Formats: sequence, structure tokens, C-alpha cells
Amino acid sequence: MKIIVATSSVPFIRGGAEILADNLRDAFVAAGHEAELVSIPFKHYPPARIPDHILACRLLDLTETCGVRIDRVIGLKFPAYLIPHPDKVIWLLHQHRTAYELWDHPRAGDLIQCPDGPVIREAIRQADRELIPEAKAVYTLSKNVSGRLRRYSGIDSEPLYNPPAHAQLFYNGPAGDYFFFPSRITGIKRQWLAIRALAQCREQVRICFAGQADSPMQQAECVNIVRELKLSDRVEWLGMVSEEQKRALYANCLAVIFSPVDEDYGYVTLEAMLSSKPVITCADSGGALEFVVNHQTGLVADPTPESLAQAMDSLWTERQNAAAMGEAGRARYQDLNISWANVVEKLLC
Amino acid sequence: MLKINWFSPLPPARSGIAHFAMQILPVLAGRQEVVLWTDQDQVAPEVLRIASVVRYDPAAPPWREINNGAISIYHFGNHPDFHGGIRQVSLHQPGIVVLHDLCLHDLFFRLWVHSGRDRASYLAALERWYGAEGRQAGEAFCNGGISSESMALKFPLTREAVRGALGVITHSSRAFEELNETPACPIVALDFPYAAAEESRYRTWVAARSAAPGPPYRLIVFGYLGRNRRLGAVLEALAAIGKREQFRLDICGELWDEGQVRTQIERLGLSSIVNLHGFLPDDQVEQKLSTAHLAINLRYPSMGEASLSQLQFWDYGLPTLVTRTGWYTSLPEEAVAFVRPDHEVADIKAHLRAFLADPGAFRAMGECGRRSLIKNAPGRYIDAMAQFASEALRVSPRVSALALARRVGQDLSAWLHPDAGPYVLERASKEIFTVFEGH
Repeated sequence: MKIIVATSSVPFIRGGAEILADNLRDAFVAAGHEAELVSIPFKHYPPARIPDHILACRLLDLTETCGVRIDRVIGLKFPAYLIPHPDKVIWLLHQHRTAYELWDHPRAGDLIQCPDGPVIREAIRQADRELIPEAKAVYTLSKNVSGRLRRYSGIDSEPLYNPPAHAQLFYNGPAGDYFFFPSRITGIKRQWLAIRALAQCREQVRICFAGQADSPMQQAECVNIVRELKLSDRVEWLGMVSEEQKRALYANCLAVIFSPVDEDYGYVTLEAMLSSKPVITCADSGGALEFVVNHQTGLVADPTPESLAQAMDSLWTERQNAAAMGEAGRARYQDLNISWANVVEKLLC
Repeated sequence: MLKINWFSPLPPARSGIAHFAMQILPVLAGRQEVVLWTDQDQVAPEVLRIASVVRYDPAAPPWREINNGAISIYHFGNHPDFHGGIRQVSLHQPGIVVLHDLCLHDLFFRLWVHSGRDRASYLAALERWYGAEGRQAGEAFCNGGISSESMALKFPLTREAVRGALGVITHSSRAFEELNETPACPIVALDFPYAAAEESRYRTWVAARSAAPGPPYRLIVFGYLGRNRRLGAVLEALAAIGKREQFRLDICGELWDEGQVRTQIERLGLSSIVNLHGFLPDDQVEQKLSTAHLAINLRYPSMGEASLSQLQFWDYGLPTLVTRTGWYTSLPEEAVAFVRPDHEVADIKAHLRAFLADPGAFRAMGECGRRSLIKNAPGRYIDAMAQFASEALRVSPRVSALALARRVGQDLSAWLHPDAGPYVLERASKEIFTVFEGH
């Protein structure tokens, strides 16, 4: 089959969604199909221009290429999943979140701060309600995303899990004296929460942060909190790391901290499980909660510095327990039977 | 329950719209969650008891807090001090616009030219809505060549106030249609809200009137008495009827030019039957209205506004003479006596003579007006307003659709050959429709 994977991306920003799109294309190719990635550049501000991007997608024609039919379009991200095609299947990574569950989020909410925000929010919601059902089938990244799609847009869908890139290469190593926090540095990933928790810890806990900042401002904000709390000797900023470095950081950490706001899915959780490491997450962290079983494969804290600090102290002092949770996480991952072959089969059925 | 952002003048602002707000806010706050936004320096304590009041700076509105509400309702009249800040918010955030005046030329002229010294914006708005003719008239008006009444009626600039609105509420559908300022959003005409007095109280007023049945019959003119209240015509008509001694005229309220009115009263020999009372406190207003026999409530020209004082007259069961113009044209024939703008003196004289001939017929007119107030109950108004707001919210994506269509049209017209235009425009407009309205 000729397959287009249609997504959108913010130029110069690369995160989990971009990696997933690449992996999906590779999975189709590995399964013997012709597959290409079509990525629409997306700029989410000013809000009044978001409908322009919707229209741009609607005016694209992906039905044929050089007279040859394109058999299927797989839509991943807003607004690319609105591109019309008679054999479109949506695998929804997420909707435009600040028009939905992040509308009034104190840090992430951007539309709410604009005078025309409510009108643009309704326009986005209307487009989703009307046009997502054009697809032959709607899958989502996780139960969390399916729940939101049902709650906000009244559309049913099926969660479809996928493995992290190079899942087979993750390994376990001796637990070192640090927690690993790998994520883009941005408000909703809540690095700031982990730093504030660090200040509340009774133990001399250390955290290594890896990941690119969405903007220099976001990085500066975190660095300033570290300075303000006099934690510089207990925090390390590694920035972008290679895949090999990342796997080594997972393998040698004591545990992984992953405390985002209502994450759609969260490869970090799966990568930690593949590395046999427990995960400390928060009760409002969304997708991570589909995998972390509290006190079995990790700890679920309240999204407060105090609660998170307690969880960090707990694993810092009870290392055998941490190791056992890590092993249980690895076993749980195996039980879930998460594979690209399964994803490809579902999306092409 | 809707969370409503309410933008209007509030007491102690000396504005009819502030009084209007106090008629319906207690009922509204009982049925919906309301936040009262104000840029006034002071807000009366009784307002604070109704709902939460939040101050805003029109130059930097707190959008995040405003956007916590489901919908904003903006009230517009012609006073720049009361409506300038509201205009600044409504310009950026689409909401429901309530038109208390249908012609808003004065507001924009005073905002831009008087207060802001921004003649260019004023002229640009006139050109935007009325083309070159509007701009030329605006220039002539700024140079003193055209009257403000004539500008207001011919170039009302109402569309400027409702630009981008989600919906428009008026209090007179016919008057608004006649204005030809229809916006591209839903419109509804609601009966002006008024909380009528309890029946027992009404009965005491009727008894007070019966105790002094006349003659002499008491005529009353009431409110802020600007030039358009036609006091000159009233005095002329009164002077011209033979049995004028059978009337007494009470003029209650601030006069736009008291000296001129006094001179006219003396010139017409009406000093013994006309009394100027000036602004009266509420208890004295009640005494005057409950002992009056006929109210005179003329407006010409009219900015199309609904008249709160008309509803007050009816509350007291008073028959009323009104001008056949603007909002008044929608009043029932059996509840008022109409005066034609171009036959004012003749019509007033005819009505006064008819009154003398059959006071009972006029009394029945007042009673009919009183009965009609049931449709002005604030609860009805609130329910209709909330229903309209919900509907406007439902179709709010159209605002984005229209803005997008405008941008697409502008962009395409800049580079597209006219022959190719129809095809591309059709494709784009079809998709815009699909995105925002569905298949």
C-alpha cells in the first residue's frame, strides 16, 4: 500500500510526537509498504491564525501522487489529521490541548490569555467535532487521549499503544545516586515541580535533567529556581543527549521522575520500564498512570513539592524496594504486548 | 448555568443604563453566575450585594480572568465616559452587544474626536461603513457644516459597535430594521425589562388619582429633558387650546436650557399652569406620577432607544403621548396616543382636546399600558437573554469563519488572476463552510 503519515510539527522542535511519526513510517516500510511522512508546519499563535492552518490542511489533496492512488492517510496531530482523504484513519496523538483540557491551566493555557481565545477555542472544537468523524476509524495514543476525545468531542475511539524507539536496546544497570528526569523542558512537563520537591527532600537527593528547552525562557526559569533554592550541587542539566547516552542514563539511575500535567501517553514511563527502573509520577500526570502501578512499579505522588519529595526520599532510602519495583515494571511492559506490528495491523485494517 | 461577564454602567453612574442594570441584575444573578466588570471609580454598595464586581483597566483588560466566563455581555449607549472602556474590551473579545441606543454616532464621535483627538479613526469608520459619502459627511460635520442629529440618523455607526459580535440584542426590532445597520450575527429584539410595582401599590396610586379626579387635569413631563423631548411643541400646543386652564403641566427633571423654557412659558402666558420642578427625589416623583392624569413622553429625533420612563408611566397606569418614531413605533396603539414628528403641535392639541372630551378613554389607555407590563417582566428578559446567549455561543465559530474568509479573500485578490478567482474562492469557501458548519 501507498501510505501517507500526516502530522504537523513546529519547526526546530523535536519531541515524542516527531519520533513517533518517524517510527510509524519505518514500521510501515518494515511491513513491506511504501510510506512517506507529510509534516505540516504549525504555528499556534496568534490564535486567530489557527483557523488558517485548519483551512490549509483542508485544501491539501493527498488522494493521488503522479496518477497513482494513495491508499491510506494516517492522521496524527492537529490540524494535519483534518486533511481529507477517502481512506483516512486517525491515530490521534492529541487534540489542540489548550482548546481542551489545558484551556485554563495556570501555566500552559495560552488561548485563555487572548481576547479572541474563547471564539478560537470554539472554532477548533467545532472543526474536530465535525471533521474527525470523517475518518474510517479513530485510534488514539492512550486511554487518556480516548477519554478526552469522548469527553470533549463526543467521539469514540480505541487506544493503541506503541513502543518507544529502539525498545529492544534499553537495558538495566547498577543504580546510581541520581534520579533521571528526561523530557523537553517546558511548563507542562513540570521540571519546576521536581526542583521544588528537591528542596523539600530530607535526603541528599540528586536529579539529572535531560532534554531540550522549548525556549531559552523556559530553561532560564528552571535554572533560576535552582539558584534561588541553592540546589546547584544537586541538579545537573544535560541538555540534548544522544540515544546511547539516554539509555545509559536510564540504566544507571535509581529511578525515573516523570511528573507532567495530564500527559497524553509518555514514552518516558515505557523507557523506564524497559530499563527496569521504577517511575515516580503524579496523580494528574495522565498517560503515565496507565502504566505505573502505585507501590508496585513506581510511586504516584500528589502534584505538590511535599508529596513528590516524600516519594523521592522513599526510593532514595529504600533501594532494594526501588530495584524490585523496576523489575516489576519490566515484567508489566512484557505483559502489555506493545509492538509496532500490532499498530501497523490495526491502522491498515 | 452560564457564567456571564457583564459590562455596563453601574450606579452611582448617572446613566439610564445603570438603572436598567439594577432592574435586571438581581434577577440575573439569581439564575446565572455573574461577574460585573467596571472601570468606574466608584460602585454603589447595593451593586456589591448583587454579584462580584471586578475593576478592569480598559487599556489592559485581564483576558485570562474575563475568559473564565462563558460569554461577555456589553451594553452600549452614547455616553463616552460610560461606554468607552466597554468599547475597548468588546473590540477585542466577541460577545453579546446590547444596544440601548440604536444610533451610536455620538459615542464614536466623542470617543475619537472629542476625547481622543483621533479624527482619522472617526473618518475611517465612516468610510468603512458608508463609503466616500460617509467620510465627506464626517469631514463636514467636524467642520460644523452638519448637525449632530442629522449625522446620527444618516450615519449611525451602529455597525461599528457590533463589529465581530456574537449576537446583538435590541429592544425594538422594527426600529433596528429601519436603521439598516444589520450585522452579520444573530439579532434578537427583547421587550425592555421592567419590574412592575405590586398590584396593591398600584391600587394606592389609582386611589390617589381618584381622590383628585380633575379638572384641573395634571400633565407630566419627566426625565432628563434634552432638546429632543419637544418641550417647545408641548407648550405651544397647550397655549393654543381654548380650555388650557383645565390643565396643569408639571415639568420634572433637568432641563437642557431652563432659561429658554422659562422665557417661552412667559411668552405664551402659561406661567399660571406650568410648573418647573427640576430634579426630584424618588418620593416626590412617586407623588407626582400617582396624581398625574396624562404623561407626555415625546422624543424627536430618537436614537432608537427604549424608554424606561415610558414603562414607569405605565406602571402608574398613566396614559401617554409618544412620538411615532424609533422604539415607540412598536408600542401598542391602544396603550399610547401617537404624535407625528411633522405634526407635533396639531397632534398634541388634538389629543388634549380628546382628553377633555373623554378622560375615561385615556384612563383605559393607561390601564392597558399597565397590563402590558407583564411582558416586560425582568425574569422573562433574563431567560430570553440567556437562551439567546447560548445560541450565540453555539454559532460562535462563525466569527472565526468570517474572519478567515476575509483573510483568504484579501490574500487571493492580491495575486490571483480574476479568471481563476471563482474556482479558488469556491474551493476555499466550501472548505471554510465545512470546517465551521459541518457537512
